[in-house]
Amino acid sequence: MDISYFIFLSSGLFLGWSLGANDAANVFGTAVGSKMVRFKTAACIASFFIILGAVFGGSGTSKTLTELGTVNELAGAFMVALSAALAVYWMVNSSTPVSTTQAIVGSIVGWNIYCGFDTNTVILAKIVSTWIICPILSGCISVILYYLIKAYVKRGKIHLIRQDLYTRIGLILACAFGSYALGANNIANVMGVFVDASPFHAVNIGKIQLSGTQILFFIGGLAISCGVFTYSKKIIKTIGTGVMSMSPIIAWIVVISQSIVLFLFASQGLKEIMMNMGLAPLPLVPVSSSQAVIGAVIGIGIAKGGREVNWSILGKVALGWVTTPIISASICFVCLFFLENVFNLVVYH
Amino acid sequence: MFQIKLSLFSKTKSLENKIDLFHDKIIDVAMTFKRAITVFLKEQRSEEYRKLCKQIKNIEHDADSLRRDIENKLYSHNLIPDLRADVLELVENLDRIINRFDEVAYKFYIERPDFPQEYHSRIKELCEQVSDCAENMAIASRAFFRDFSIVRDYSQKVYFMEAESDLTSGKMKEAIFDSDMPLANKLQLSSIIGEVADIADIAEDCVDELLIFTIKRDI
Repeated sequence: MDISYFIFLSSGLFLGWSLGANDAANVFGTAVGSKMVRFKTAACIASFFIILGAVFGGSGTSKTLTELGTVNELAGAFMVALSAALAVYWMVNSSTPVSTTQAIVGSIVGWNIYCGFDTNTVILAKIVSTWIICPILSGCISVILYYLIKAYVKRGKIHLIRQDLYTRIGLILACAFGSYALGANNIANVMGVFVDASPFHAVNIGKIQLSGTQILFFIGGLAISCGVFTYSKKIIKTIGTGVMSMSPIIAWIVVISQSIVLFLFASQGLKEIMMNMGLAPLPLVPVSSSQAVIGAVIGIGIAKGGREVNWSILGKVALGWVTTPIISASICFVCLFFLENVFNLVVYH
Repeated sequence: MFQIKLSLFSKTKSLENKIDLFHDKIIDVAMTFKRAITVFLKEQRSEEYRKLCKQIKNIEHDADSLRRDIENKLYSHNLIPDLRADVLELVENLDRIINRFDEVAYKFYIERPDFPQEYHSRIKELCEQVSDCAENMAIASRAFFRDFSIVRDYSQKVYFMEAESDLTSGKMKEAIFDSDMPLANKLQLSSIIGEVADIADIAEDCVDELLIFTIKRDI
């Protein structure tokens, strides 16, 4: 196996690490922030399920990204992932709720433009539509859950101590489900562009057979887990103050709404079920967990009367839809030029 | 895993029982206090009254150990992190009501206030009002843990009974100071009436806080 592959893969791993640090905080930040679940417990559960989701559920979203642009050279894939990572880093520094998906989509489009390839506008439109649908859907789910849970808490007459236990169990399960959905939905952002150049072959572990792509996704999952363990605690402490004031039940609703949305946009099985039922299936596209969380929080805010909603955050989200892909596409375009002309590397064929 | 789950559920159940028992103690102490004052007015510092005072003291001791246990468990198991401070304050305040019942009963035992016959019905009425107030407070607090939608109903009863007890104690004090008894007696009776009425005031303070906690408890 060529060692250069791993050198080029490093940008994807870096992107995975930053995704683990940022997005995993969305999955269990509220649970840890509200002191309902210990950080170590949450990080262990999240890491395990992120890898599980990446390996066994990540193929659908990855296919959509490949349809947008098949990055066919390793050096090109390296730069696509690196530009996305740099764009994410920049946007995080400017406190904009950033999406890794928007960054990677921008980078792929940048690569397409640089190489002179046509971008599949149908796929692009499909992906862009999910950026808007994702927070709206998450908000709708959180509103429904909010009213259901509120009614249940009032009518169920559960003792406060028992309610605390149920919430704790719920948060742990939501953390596991959210992590699985995050792994399945977002692994394409991290490793999707390296799939075509993957040197891995299928292996058998007992009765389970893992394809080359699944091994690649496993490595990506490890990078995300690394981000979870090394940096997400800091993210929860520094930028998680807004979510810490939530009650544990609201925290659960936010996490579960976000997880459902991520799962809806990642599950191949669900897509097939919807198609069999004659319903229009949701596209399998990597979506932003940060924006899903914002959608859920705003949904609950509206359900509570709308007084607590910080509407300016919506402007920031919309700004992110436009600026993130433009920034990452620009970085990718400029850097591909340097890579090809200064370092004499082949970035496409 | 199954064992961990079972242990979690049994720990939760045990704490729920302790909180329920703690509320039972408030109702117990209020009922015993009512009986004790009736006995005192009839027999003064009799053996029966001494027994009832001892019973109140035991309830107070039990409530103290339950309170410590509840506080300890809430902290050591890191339970209800968002409402823990509120619950601890609530339990402390409820304990203050029990302590005050004990203090007043003991004050009757030590000072042996001599209430003229014409005031007996009023002092009984006052004791009933403060006991009702404490009982309703206990029910409101229990509802906070299980069915917080009815907290408001019982809180209103506490407010009502507190206002009634203020009226009764005011009228009694007025009548006492209008009477011909020696000033020392007047002051002693007024002070003891004030302490009985204080029980309702503490319950009212508790309920004020409880209503705020209830707003926070609603998701």
